[in-house]
Amino acid sequence: MLRPIAVVAALAAVALAGCGAGKGSGGDPANPPAQPYSKRSTAPGAVARVTPADYRRPIATYKRYVGRQLGTLLGEVAALRAAIARHDLAGARAAWLTADARYESIGAAYGAFGDLDAAVNGRPAGLAGGIRSPDFTGLHRIELALWRRRSTRDAAAPAGSLARAVARLRAKVRAMTMDPLEYSLRAHEILEDGIHLQLSGQASPWSGSALVALRAQVKGTSVVLATLEPMIARRDSSGALPQARRALRRLSTTLARLERAHGSLPRWDRLGQRDRELVDGLAAGVAEQLAYVPELIDPRPPRAAQRPFGDSG
Amino acid sequence: MKRRAFLGSAAALGAGAAIDRVIGPGGGATAAQAAGSPAAGAAPIAFEGAHQAGILTPAPPHAIFAAFDAIAPSRAELATALEALSERARRLTRGYEALLGAPGEGPTPDSGILGPRVTPDGLTVTIALGASLFDHRYGLAARKPRALKPMTTFPDDALVTEECHGDVMVQLCANGEMTLLNALRDLMRATRGSLAPRWKIEGFLPVSKEAGKPRNLLGFKDGTANPDTADRGLMDRVVWARDGEPSWAAGGTYQVVRIIRNRVEFWDRVARQEQELMIGRDKGTGAPLGRSKETDDPGYPSDPDGERIPMDAHIRLARPRTPETEGSRILRRGYSYSRGLDLSGQLDMGLVFCCFQADVEKQFEVVQKRLAGEPLIDYVVPTGGGYFFAPPGARDSQDWVGSGLFV
Repeated sequence: MLRPIAVVAALAAVALAGCGAGKGSGGDPANPPAQPYSKRSTAPGAVARVTPADYRRPIATYKRYVGRQLGTLLGEVAALRAAIARHDLAGARAAWLTADARYESIGAAYGAFGDLDAAVNGRPAGLAGGIRSPDFTGLHRIELALWRRRSTRDAAAPAGSLARAVARLRAKVRAMTMDPLEYSLRAHEILEDGIHLQLSGQASPWSGSALVALRAQVKGTSVVLATLEPMIARRDSSGALPQARRALRRLSTTLARLERAHGSLPRWDRLGQRDRELVDGLAAGVAEQLAYVPELIDPRPPRAAQRPFGDSG
Repeated sequence: MKRRAFLGSAAALGAGAAIDRVIGPGGGATAAQAAGSPAAGAAPIAFEGAHQAGILTPAPPHAIFAAFDAIAPSRAELATALEALSERARRLTRGYEALLGAPGEGPTPDSGILGPRVTPDGLTVTIALGASLFDHRYGLAARKPRALKPMTTFPDDALVTEECHGDVMVQLCANGEMTLLNALRDLMRATRGSLAPRWKIEGFLPVSKEAGKPRNLLGFKDGTANPDTADRGLMDRVVWARDGEPSWAAGGTYQVVRIIRNRVEFWDRVARQEQELMIGRDKGTGAPLGRSKETDDPGYPSDPDGERIPMDAHIRLARPRTPETEGSRILRRGYSYSRGLDLSGQLDMGLVFCCFQADVEKQFEVVQKRLAGEPLIDYVVPTGGGYFFAPPGARDSQDWVGSGLFV
């Protein structure tokens, strides 16, 4: 499981380290000289820099969306528990897919959820003992029970904990604070997580539901982009947002075609090589375009130009 | 794509004058080096030319063979992606000042894994097209090279579907692995959303002070009997496609790539003499059995019954050196590979066989049929690969490999 906070920190570090790389053969390559801030090219003319205050409205809008999704998720988890309680394996699996996709559609909020994210969406990776760790709980613990173990009995206790975790999240969402920088990065990184965790087969190995999750992530990304659109559009001289939107639409259309062809979205590990390459390639194409977005709306103040390493004075 | 292209051309402007590849008497590429080129001290192998580089040019120690499938939504976008491959390849092979990125300019333009100054490092980028690209999707069926078809499954093959075929093959060769990885990342990024990776394999050649051809992972000299790339007339007959090809394809060549695993643990449990009888060469010197030097003629007329070199020895079947069989010669340009273990704990290593020829059926496949059932086959297992057509080279700095398909 990628820990969103750590990812943000790492990315911020990369972004900062990358600032000022540039021309000139002098200086230490590990500490390259800075480009003057005035040479920035993506916010031309009189468009002001984004500040954290600009994020108030988008984040408020997004939090309302998350609140609605969590409300729906609460009902879906109740349906999952009911199917498990009556030992209806097929019904439980269907309910699990619905609930898992719901949670995947609010990926920009994971960082703000804190430990509750792991309680809902934790993965065995990083836990001593892996799937046998007592700390492995939540949706994927239930996935293990329903698919690999074909057991509703084994899913009962984790489903109870899941319902409690989702209820706590729902209660918390209104008071939750979201960091503007993290929110801007999630516009790009929800899809990066989709590629890294879902399309690699790691995240949902037993249900094979990567395509279902990916579709929810595409939706979640679109929601984030919609809240940020006014901010991005004013600064997007190279058309990054329309290109990203086009790429997202192509991916959505392809997923819809696969769903029509198979009756429902097929297991990721059963998809033919050509279709798998198509989804992989389109998702990677989306990520390539989305990567231009966060820097356009970076809420941090500009960093002072750094003196080249070894420069005197 | 547009932004990437912009960055690419911007960088090209700063990268010095274009350099022409000169096919010298050696047939290999030499380069006229432009003054002020960032590549000072490491002559680039020019991307442009009548034929693509990476075919007759000497094989440097490292290679990547990467197969892609086209996912471009239209014929125009496929053309854009292929053009981008050439555009980026031109820059990569010439050397450049890397764009590491500046504040406000988005993702880092170049990987930066070679530092701020990227030298050519012997890099060649060879682009080839598979038969599947000429299906109904892009309306290219009428332009298919005459002899292009999907790779045949031979009786001794054990093909793994995921590592076979492909719409586009990109062969990268260079002196250093980092140069290859920089090029691969750059080319994949420039074509993301249009070309989806299908399979890839990395190869290497020994860096050895030993004279003659390099050894393969069976411990034998390999490639000794290759046709002389300096002999232009011979190359015209053996390598370059001509008769009956669509006009855009003249000057191209058919490329066969085969991943041939060597069962090295099993092979190492075989006595030297048995190995030599299977190959037909001395393991120490590389000379044909009963001869003294690697380059000596095997002298089959003096050994009509295979007393010295068995009739089913690999080199004898592959090239019997009779007037009837000389028309099936091929130009081999293979690499060794090594990657991981299988479930039995055995090493997965062997040969990335690669050869170029004017006609796959009349050359590679004829050789392959002669080799069917050879004793060596117990020790080698073809598991992947494909047939491709490498179009003629880009004519000039505006042209790109495959442009003739779209005019």
